[in-house]
Amino acid sequence: MPDGSRKEMAVENTAIEDVLRRLGINPVEVIVAKNGRIVSEEETVDAGDELKIIMVVHGG
Amino acid sequence: MLKDAEKTRYSRQIRLFGEVGQEKLKKTSVFVAGAGGLGSIVSIYMAAAGFGKICIVDCDSVELSNLNRQILHGGQDVGRDKALSAYDTITSINPEVEVEALVETISEDNIDTLLQGCNLIMDAMDNFPTRYLLNRAALKRKIPLFHGAISGYRGQVTTIIPGKTACLRCIFPRAPPAAIFPALGSTCGVIGSIQVTEAVKYIQGAGELLTNRLLLWDGLSACLDEVACERNLGCMDCRDDTR
Repeated sequence: MPDGSRKEMAVENTAIEDVLRRLGINPVEVIVAKNGRIVSEEETVDAGDELKIIMVVHGG
Repeated sequence: MLKDAEKTRYSRQIRLFGEVGQEKLKKTSVFVAGAGGLGSIVSIYMAAAGFGKICIVDCDSVELSNLNRQILHGGQDVGRDKALSAYDTITSINPEVEVEALVETISEDNIDTLLQGCNLIMDAMDNFPTRYLLNRAALKRKIPLFHGAISGYRGQVTTIIPGKTACLRCIFPRAPPAAIFPALGSTCGVIGSIQVTEAVKYIQGAGELLTNRLLLWDGLSACLDEVACERNLGCMDCRDDTR
């Protein structure tokens, strides 16, 4: 999760954008890595996959 | 050729990459987009390291609320143009460096002129729309872009080599919502320092660049993490570039 915590969810061929919606996360504010690799939110996840939801920072 | 004073000034770096390596830095012209928190760290360390020319651009003036992190500027600079304050600081740190300081807003209209003669782009901006502009300009000119961004205790950093690696848009397909971000000077220090290290490595041809990897710094947990990224064949910014 963006705050560093971990959460387990039941998924089956679930689009990442649906995962984000279920978690109440605005997809515009994050990028998502699936099993260590950044993927688009159209990508799907299955049991055993690990998602890292990264809050995009934009300051300088 | 390095002057005797330069050989002394850079002696600890010459131990690292030799006089030839130091001359490579001297021949390099860098564009620093922004003279804020990241721009302070980036320009100060690049000047100290002896990059030959630094072109730094910022349209804002110094505010009191900038001074917790923007170490290019001091209390006496409040109200001055950041670019001009930056000029004074950078030249005082290293008078051997040629500095061009411009009070400009980076835009589609002036980006080509601003980047004239620059070999590297250092992203020290505070917003994604301008970062995408830098990304497209880097792709067009085939020069590397060293991305960094911060918020509070967190930062992200990556190195983009046009035609070879994921571009900024491949990694961040759309801009996060604009907002006033919390900022800690030491976070700028972590991220800006990595950007400069990457630029030095690129010029020296040393080590393994932070390409196709996004490095994530979380100061609260004192953890560095990284995720892999790759070119998006449908990327609206780089899909036409050859691999």
